[in-house]
Amino acid sequence: MITLDDVSKRYPNGTYALRDVDLHIEPGGFVFLVGSSGAGKSTLIRLLIREETATTGRVIVEGEDVGRMPRGHVSRLRRKVGVVFQDFKLLPAKTVAENVGFALVVTGHSSHEVREETERVLSLVGLSQRRDHFPAQLSGGEQQRTAIARALVNRPRILIADEPTGNLDPVTSWEIIKLLTRVNELGTTMVMATHNAEIVNALRRRVVHLDHGRVVRDEREGLYAA
Amino acid sequence: MRRVSYVLSAAAQGFLRNPAMSLASTFTVTLMLTLFAFFMTADRGLQATVAVLEGKVELALFLDDNAKVSDILALKSRIESDPAVARVDYVTKEQALKRLQEIAARRPDFELTDISTNPLPASLEIKMAEAEQAKRLASDLRAEVGKGVVYDVIDNPQVVDQLLTITRLLSFGGVAILAMMLAVALFVIVNTIKLAVHARRDEIEIMKLVGASDWFVRWPFILEGMIVGGLGAVVSLAVLFAAAGPVTSVMTEFLDVLPVSFGADFAVQLVASVFGVALLVGAGGATLSVRSHLAK
Repeated sequence: MITLDDVSKRYPNGTYALRDVDLHIEPGGFVFLVGSSGAGKSTLIRLLIREETATTGRVIVEGEDVGRMPRGHVSRLRRKVGVVFQDFKLLPAKTVAENVGFALVVTGHSSHEVREETERVLSLVGLSQRRDHFPAQLSGGEQQRTAIARALVNRPRILIADEPTGNLDPVTSWEIIKLLTRVNELGTTMVMATHNAEIVNALRRRVVHLDHGRVVRDEREGLYAA
Repeated sequence: MRRVSYVLSAAAQGFLRNPAMSLASTFTVTLMLTLFAFFMTADRGLQATVAVLEGKVELALFLDDNAKVSDILALKSRIESDPAVARVDYVTKEQALKRLQEIAARRPDFELTDISTNPLPASLEIKMAEAEQAKRLASDLRAEVGKGVVYDVIDNPQVVDQLLTITRLLSFGGVAILAMMLAVALFVIVNTIKLAVHARRDEIEIMKLVGASDWFVRWPFILEGMIVGGLGAVVSLAVLFAAAGPVTSVMTEFLDVLPVSFGADFAVQLVASVFGVALLVGAGGATLSVRSHLAK
């Protein structure tokens, strides 16, 4: 599903964001990426969706070598990998339903498919009643759920979340985490970078700890700190 | 369908979101296209003029009164064998006089008083197939002067020479000015589209994240560029066709004798070329401005 094989990422200024990283994530797995800011979590995520390419080593996602795939394949890769960010990245002039459907419109689906799939994921994240609201009319949690719905609407095999609860209060954070674990239970592989120790400790899932670009800890039912 | 309507509405939005910039670039494109059409028309007109004049170019060899007819005919066939020559006519002394009398008959201010003798020489009149070669041929033939057949060479292709020079200058100048205008138009279009790209940068980011293809991201901007170009073409052609009537009447008055006219064929060619250039410049400029945003 996801394999990083001796991956290093060096930026032009000479600093290493990732060093000799080996990582394998099984289909349906749930992995927390933890570590302090600048440890390499975001860089790792960017390699998975080819926003960056590894300096050395191979990144395999869904059987494809991400670093060596032709440019034209990148859009196909990104349809298989949903991404959710701390800052939601919603379009303010579009309604909830439009924001979610946008992912289908721009990947060439018919109006019929856009309508049906949008309703499906909106009910999955519990936002059917809010479908015609604009992002500014939503709470932070609702905005993040909209973003999750958009990430899921293309039925990705993998969902990547970069600090999905970073801007949310504890209660709302739990709602989002519950939603994401449910998505995982439905079969989607989940990779989540987070600073939220409480959530990591409560869920007892696999924890990959990065420090200065290296994997320093990889535990099956880990805690936030060793 | 959803896709097409998205691209169309995004392009229209882009054009309307920043009307001042859109109008400025449309205006620049209009200016460029008007100049383009002007040069194209002028070039065509001059070419037609040159063609007409070229057909009239003549070298005349005045012949010695004592020259033997056999020598004259030998010279005539020698000149005819030159590939730059279209035709050679032998005009006898009598024919020359008759022509002069005919001209005199048409001109009341011109009176022939004493025509008891014929002072006019016989001549060979040469029509050129290639006007550029007239000078060369004239100087070749000047070597014949004084050898008993030819006593003078009248070489009058300066008009054509000048016209050819003007045509060449106009082509070079036209190309240079057009190149500059093209650069300006591209620059303005690139910046207009950059503004549109900037206004939609969040949307582009999300489109790329959710897996829209590069072409899908690019199309609205290319279309917007083509709207700018297309509008420019419409305005400049409207100006041209409005001006065409008056300009043509002035020109025909001025160039009375020259049967220069542009038919429907040329109009179609002009419209097609102006639109072609407009759409290419618009799409090209847009492609340039989106390129950096698609690098990742």
